[in-house]
Amino acid sequence: MIHFDNIGMRYGMGSEVLKDISFNLKPGSLHFLTGPSGAGKTSLLKLMYLAQRPSRGKITMFNEDVTAAKREDLPKLRRRIGVVFQDFRLLDHLTAVENVALPLRISGGKGTEIEEHVKELLTWVGLKGRMKSRPPTLSGGEKQRVAIARAVIKRPDILLADEPTGNVDPAIAKRIMHLFVELNKLGTTTVIATHDMSLVEEVGADRLHLQNGRLHMIRTGETVPNLEEEKFDSREFSSGTLDQNEFDPKPIARDEVL
Amino acid sequence: MTKAIHFLPDEKNHEATRLLPYVMAVMVYLSALALMGSMMLHKGFGDWTESLSNRLTVQVTTADREARETQVRQVIQLLRNTPGIEHVRKLNEVEIEQLLEPWLGVGNVTSDLPVPDILDVTVSRALKINLDALNAQISKISDNIHLDDHQQWLGRFLRLMDMVEYTALGILLLVVMATICMVIFGTKAGMAENRETIAIMHHLGARDSMVARAYQNRFMIYGLKGGIIGLVLAFVTLISLIYLSRDLASGLAPVPDLPMVEVGILLVVPIIAAAISMLTARITVMRDLRRMV
Repeated sequence: MIHFDNIGMRYGMGSEVLKDISFNLKPGSLHFLTGPSGAGKTSLLKLMYLAQRPSRGKITMFNEDVTAAKREDLPKLRRRIGVVFQDFRLLDHLTAVENVALPLRISGGKGTEIEEHVKELLTWVGLKGRMKSRPPTLSGGEKQRVAIARAVIKRPDILLADEPTGNVDPAIAKRIMHLFVELNKLGTTTVIATHDMSLVEEVGADRLHLQNGRLHMIRTGETVPNLEEEKFDSREFSSGTLDQNEFDPKPIARDEVL
Repeated sequence: MTKAIHFLPDEKNHEATRLLPYVMAVMVYLSALALMGSMMLHKGFGDWTESLSNRLTVQVTTADREARETQVRQVIQLLRNTPGIEHVRKLNEVEIEQLLEPWLGVGNVTSDLPVPDILDVTVSRALKINLDALNAQISKISDNIHLDDHQQWLGRFLRLMDMVEYTALGILLLVVMATICMVIFGTKAGMAENRETIAIMHHLGARDSMVARAYQNRFMIYGLKGGIIGLVLAFVTLISLIYLSRDLASGLAPVPDLPMVEVGILLVVPIIAAAISMLTARITVMRDLRRMV
């Protein structure tokens, strides 16, 4: 479903933020995307939701080489991808219902059917009383649920979520994760970027772990060094006496993943 | 074609472009005035010069009344026998008075004022008359008979009118170009203001044409709104100008009317403004979006 082949990515003339990324996500799989802040999670997600093109390498999605795809061919691919952005990216002048309905309207859905469907989903995520509210009047958690509803309303082939449970209480977080898992069971290939390790352990899916722009696959049940995040942080802020052996999770060999 | 999706903030919240209809109104106002001025000059003076182009005027200025009347009869006879002359008519006293009134004032044309006899001659459009030969024959009757084909002063006048007309069309062209530049600027400002919204729409799978449609519809409404306001103001100005020129012209020059065909053409101006605005916005958005991922 998503195939990255030796992908490198840089912004402008800067250094590479993603280096030699290769992996293959099978249709209907569920993966967490983990790694410290600044490791390149959002950049990797941007490549997956076709908001950026890589500097090198080849990305295949839906059996199409999207790196070579023409601009005018991207919208139909993007319509098959649901994205929950970390900063929600809702349209402030539209109501919750209108925001969630956008993907359906863009795909040419009919008014009454859309509204029914949208209201049902918003009720399900606990926003029954907030349907006509605009994002500036919603709390962080409510906005996040609207963003999630917008991402899943079309039951996309691929669901990408960037910190989807960051702003909600544990009960709602559990419910949202349940929704993702259910969607995944229905065939949606799901990638969830998160820092919440308890969530990762609870769901128990494979991890794509990014560190310094490089990707490492951590299989379900594999143990990860406990000090991983701390060590990364200390390396990031130390005066530069980096010991390469301090932390070295096994990089994925290409033939292992592809 | 998919239905337009309302995703841009309301017009009143659109800081970059909310004054655009009023600027459009000024542009349409100037365009309408330039266009109407050009059309009215073209039609008004065109009709007038057309009516003069197949006319000759013969003035018999002999002072002695009896001799003058004899010469008039001889000239009329000569003209009627000349091939290509369709009609010869001597202007009566009342008509001559009306011609002199703009210069001398009403009631100042008295019977003791020496005025020439004037013959109004209509020439066939089909046959070309040799005016030099005709003039020579008239001169044989008397040296006090003058043939005027109006061409000398009419030529200068027509050149002046042509220049005024071309200037009006030039102004119209400049106003249209300024309008296009303004719409491009407004569209770009509107896009910059909503860059995030456009990016979100793209991520959700919106095509460029979908985004462009929202802008082109908005700018079409701006064009139409501004067009109607500008046209109403232009009509008020034109009617006022015609009303004032009636008082000033006093028969010296033809006073143009508000002709219905030209008014009809003018009614299309807001639609043209809307179309220019819409097309410009669409092209601008499509070109700008092509630079995005």
